[in-house]
Amino acid sequence: MDSGIDLQGSFIQALMDLGLPADLAKVIWIPLPMLLIIATATFLALVSTWLERKISAAAQQRVGPEYMGPLGMLVPVADVIKLLIKEDVMPAKTDPWLYTLGPILVFTPVFLSYLIVPFGQHLIITDLGIGIFLWISLSSVVPIGLLMAGYSSNNKYSLLGGLRAAAQSISYEIPLALSVLAIVMMSNSLSTIDIVQQQSGYGILGWNIWRQPVGFVIFWIAALAECERLPFDLPEAEEELVAGYQTEYGAIRFMLFYAGSYVNLILSSLMVAVLYLGGWEFPIPVGVIADWLGISETTPWLQIVTATLGITMTLLKAYFLLFLTILLRWTVPRVRIDQLLDLGWKFLLPVSLVNLLLTAGLKLALPFAFGG
Amino acid sequence: MLKFLKQVTDYLKETRDAAKYIGQGLAVTFDHMQRRPVTVQYPYEKLIPSERFRGRIHFEFDKCISCEVCVRVCPINLPVVDYEYNKETKKKKLNSYSIDFGVCIFCGNCVEYCPTNCLSMTEEYELSTYDRHELNYDSVALGRLPYKVTEDPMVTPLRELAYLPKGTIDPHNLPATARRAGQRPEEILEKMEKEGAGKS
Repeated sequence: MDSGIDLQGSFIQALMDLGLPADLAKVIWIPLPMLLIIATATFLALVSTWLERKISAAAQQRVGPEYMGPLGMLVPVADVIKLLIKEDVMPAKTDPWLYTLGPILVFTPVFLSYLIVPFGQHLIITDLGIGIFLWISLSSVVPIGLLMAGYSSNNKYSLLGGLRAAAQSISYEIPLALSVLAIVMMSNSLSTIDIVQQQSGYGILGWNIWRQPVGFVIFWIAALAECERLPFDLPEAEEELVAGYQTEYGAIRFMLFYAGSYVNLILSSLMVAVLYLGGWEFPIPVGVIADWLGISETTPWLQIVTATLGITMTLLKAYFLLFLTILLRWTVPRVRIDQLLDLGWKFLLPVSLVNLLLTAGLKLALPFAFGG
Repeated sequence: MLKFLKQVTDYLKETRDAAKYIGQGLAVTFDHMQRRPVTVQYPYEKLIPSERFRGRIHFEFDKCISCEVCVRVCPINLPVVDYEYNKETKKKKLNSYSIDFGVCIFCGNCVEYCPTNCLSMTEEYELSTYDRHELNYDSVALGRLPYKVTEDPMVTPLRELAYLPKGTIDPHNLPATARRAGQRPEEILEKMEKEGAGKS
């Protein structure tokens, strides 16, 4: 199954055919996927802000944005332009370095994590050996940025928000990592490509959600907490903390936080899709369909269809999860800080440990189904 | 050991219940998504004000006898009545009349007590201005009639909830002939008169 489109190879080959040396062709190639993925991530985040507005409106029986472009699709653009041209204010007696560094530290790791998000067999920037571990380690940089922002703002609400964000991120990272560990144990690899490969072949029946239902729920709850989405949005609870660590921020620095949170949300949804919902896999394996129709798997147009289908499926799964988050936002009330920590330490942590143990046992007992 | 097992089962039961309730909540939210928006898309759609709506006050200059009852019943003595006493006819001659709607609370006392019915309530409620002094209406401005919502070609008039047929909550696309729920005032009056006639 290692066939597919090799964009890098064909691009470099094309440049070399034009008469460029091989090294130069490679250098020209390197920044292209990165720029593409940054643009894609930003675009996905903008789409998700629009979806958030529209779905929230629908859940509350409103219309939502309507007159800015078709169906209000230009609202995110207006948002960005407004934040870009706003005056950049720094409140008095802040720590200028930490104040600037905070949002950057929140923003950068989230974008870096897109390095390991696969949209198809070869549609990934780097198939790192440590794969999913990179995402977990990068996401633990974020609370430092939040703490910095909260501390340097010289505002008690910001500080409280920052502290809450740090406490929340740290306590939910453990169940998150443990549920990922169960998946990794099943696929014998940290690489996101291998994790999806291990789920492929049987269509929807092969997806990890059937083998790891508990892990899926734990991962989803922990991911919501990591993204500070509504049942767990204590760090920026409007009613109590104004806006938490973002209170003193405005203009471009605020935009970094705002974009970071939505990009992070999309990233988490993509991760759930990759880890539990079979990544780029179609519910019925494409290879089987091709066999039925009697088409060779190496047919060029089939490969293009497969690649397109892969991207579409990944995004569809991610946006389905995003829809669920928004629906959840208007369904459940916010938890208290003690309830939040109770849920993290006294429920998710033991349950995820039991889940890990069970997975290990099943792996030994039923090696054919749980990746021996 | 048994106690511990019981604790575990209780905990799992609680967890299951919590998941069930969240699921039910999600079902409710999801159901709301397919319902039609209840919001009125002002300024393209407007609700038709009810008969008893207390909007901007209308004033008829010629009917006024400058008795100043409106000033006396007003909680803050708001209407300004400027008149001269004509000694020959022994009548008051009204020069000008004004009400400042930036101060008025639209209680309707003046309308209620006016002996010649020269004051009345309109259904106009869009009184915003850039300068609050523009809200001080003189007798000419008070004599203007508001533009009716039902006659404005730019506006889709919508009926208020109490004026919809029984069982309907969506005012869109209602036929103009659709009757409101319950009896109309004239019907109630007719019934009362009939009952009164039967008794006496």
